[in-house]
Amino acid sequence: MEDDKQNANPTILNPSDLPSRHREAVAKKREDGGTGLFDDLIPAYNYLNDPFEQSYSSSDSDDGSVEDIDEQEIYDLISSISDPEHPLSLGSLAVVNLPDIFIQPPQSPHSSISTVLVEITPTITHCSLATVIGLGVRVRLEQALPPRFRIDVRIKKGTHSTDEAVNKQLGDKERVAAALENGTLMGVIRKMLVTCE
Amino acid sequence: METPLTTPSHKIEALATLSPPSNSRTWQTAPHPSLPLVATACSDRTVRVYSLTSFTLLHSVAGGHKRSVRAVSWKPHTAGQSVLATGSFDASAGIWRREERGLEEDYTNRRVGGDEDDEEEDDADDYQFSCILDGHESEIKSLSWSPSGQYLATCSRDKSVWIWEELEDDNFETVAVLQEHDGDVKCVAWHPEEDLLASASYDDTVRLYREDADDWVQVSLISGHPQTVWWVQFEGSGMSKKDFRQAGSNGNEERSRHIDLLERSGPRLATCSDDCTVRVWRRIPKDTTGQGSLNAGIPSIIRSFSVDEAWIQEAILPKRHDRAVYSVSWSQRTGMIVSAGSDGKIVVYRERWKDQTNGITTTGEVDNPTTQDAEFSPTEWVVVAELFSAHDVFEINHVCWAKRSDKGRRSEDEEVIVSTGDDGEVRVWTVSEEGV
Repeated sequence: MEDDKQNANPTILNPSDLPSRHREAVAKKREDGGTGLFDDLIPAYNYLNDPFEQSYSSSDSDDGSVEDIDEQEIYDLISSISDPEHPLSLGSLAVVNLPDIFIQPPQSPHSSISTVLVEITPTITHCSLATVIGLGVRVRLEQALPPRFRIDVRIKKGTHSTDEAVNKQLGDKERVAAALENGTLMGVIRKMLVTCE
Repeated sequence: METPLTTPSHKIEALATLSPPSNSRTWQTAPHPSLPLVATACSDRTVRVYSLTSFTLLHSVAGGHKRSVRAVSWKPHTAGQSVLATGSFDASAGIWRREERGLEEDYTNRRVGGDEDDEEEDDADDYQFSCILDGHESEIKSLSWSPSGQYLATCSRDKSVWIWEELEDDNFETVAVLQEHDGDVKCVAWHPEEDLLASASYDDTVRLYREDADDWVQVSLISGHPQTVWWVQFEGSGMSKKDFRQAGSNGNEERSRHIDLLERSGPRLATCSDDCTVRVWRRIPKDTTGQGSLNAGIPSIIRSFSVDEAWIQEAILPKRHDRAVYSVSWSQRTGMIVSAGSDGKIVVYRERWKDQTNGITTTGEVDNPTTQDAEFSPTEWVVVAELFSAHDVFEINHVCWAKRSDKGRRSEDEEVIVSTGDDGEVRVWTVSEEGV
């Protein structure tokens, strides 16, 4: 056992217990209170009067329509990220958990911007790697999701001794942008994301 | 917050997208003080200089910075020469110069057919790197020349604000290193009439500084925003003749008292924040040396016993953003305010007198400025225009007013809004009154 690790003995979940698309038993959390049964019947948001509508999702979709991205998909994108100090995924360490992923649809019919909120649970309360993990999650989602998603990564309340400070850093676009220009830090993040493809 | 909501009276319409756009995020755009140009700070380590006449790229200023260029500022009053300061994530600031030969119109024509000029001429035509200002320990976030051009202020993630003075060409001296903030300093801005500097920070505060007995010191601390303050800007000079005050008080005593109060306070301050609000702050006038001495610029023989200033929150503008507001700008022509941010919206606000019929009682409070706050203000801010998805689905990092200079200009002093986005685009918008 290496002593320099901040958490030498993390709890590891069995891969078969992790949430996946095939297991219908996983209850999906819905912020809108709906059951999801009728979602397909509701017409997509309409972009009347939006002079730029033709290009809003050019980078990700074939037909230009807003496709549904659900919490499970977000989970799949980030659960395979490697922990910076263990050869384990964030999913198996329960750092990211399906019930802690929230998707908020556009707040106005004139807007096409959705918000993804991911609350991460660091393995121990004083883990200084929490910021790096959060940054990895944010980078992964920024790269994988279409630009109409705003990504908020936060430390789950009460699970970390300095969660306020870490949340503020992770929410600061300018700091994140500067961090991504830092070669050393990007090296760490790239290593975490190697297991994602 | 009870804010009256009215039907927008103005329309924001797309005029142009500056072409070609950058391939990566653009951070901020600064209009030239006298020429129809803007400079845009880009994350690809360059600055792009565009024409506001032809809406095309004139120069790409490259080769100076090792990381994103985060901020740009044109030095004012530099006849015959353009001087540009650039601030970068590489912790340095750069000074660039370009001789401006010939007429302003030259700008639009120069590149049209004359691309085959001999190389020497092309070199002279470009922005020349002139010097580098080193000192900050980490990313520079913003920089700004004082209105006289005497000082350049820079600020950084290292929590400090530096003031530089240009003694002679390319010889800059550090006149102050201000380390009052407890977090990244996001923005610096100068008062239009006084050597008074404001800085906004990650520590949620705004601080004001001025020189006192050869030392720059903090003279005011403005708290109110519960989260990061992203931008700060002073109101223009002499706005009482241009904004809602120009119609006068109409014999209304309360209004005339308010006009007088604003006159004694001087230009106000606008801020915007991660808390999704835009706020306006006002200085409490000092009465110790007699009325008017503060803004008339007459030096007082008796030195004020304290340089401290008290600034109070005058208004929270109607809340229309649902994510961080990154930028706010005060029109120098109309006094209107424009804001933009993470939600991709552009919102324009105007100040007006509150309707007299549901007016407020005025007894007492006007005589005692310290108890004055937004509640008693005889004015209110209303949204006159808003535009969703101004940069498609992308965030807007900066927004400002600029003089309109293209052929379609409807009046000498017409203004346009210039927005800068994560999509690498700089877009130009007209604002017109509905039905006019």
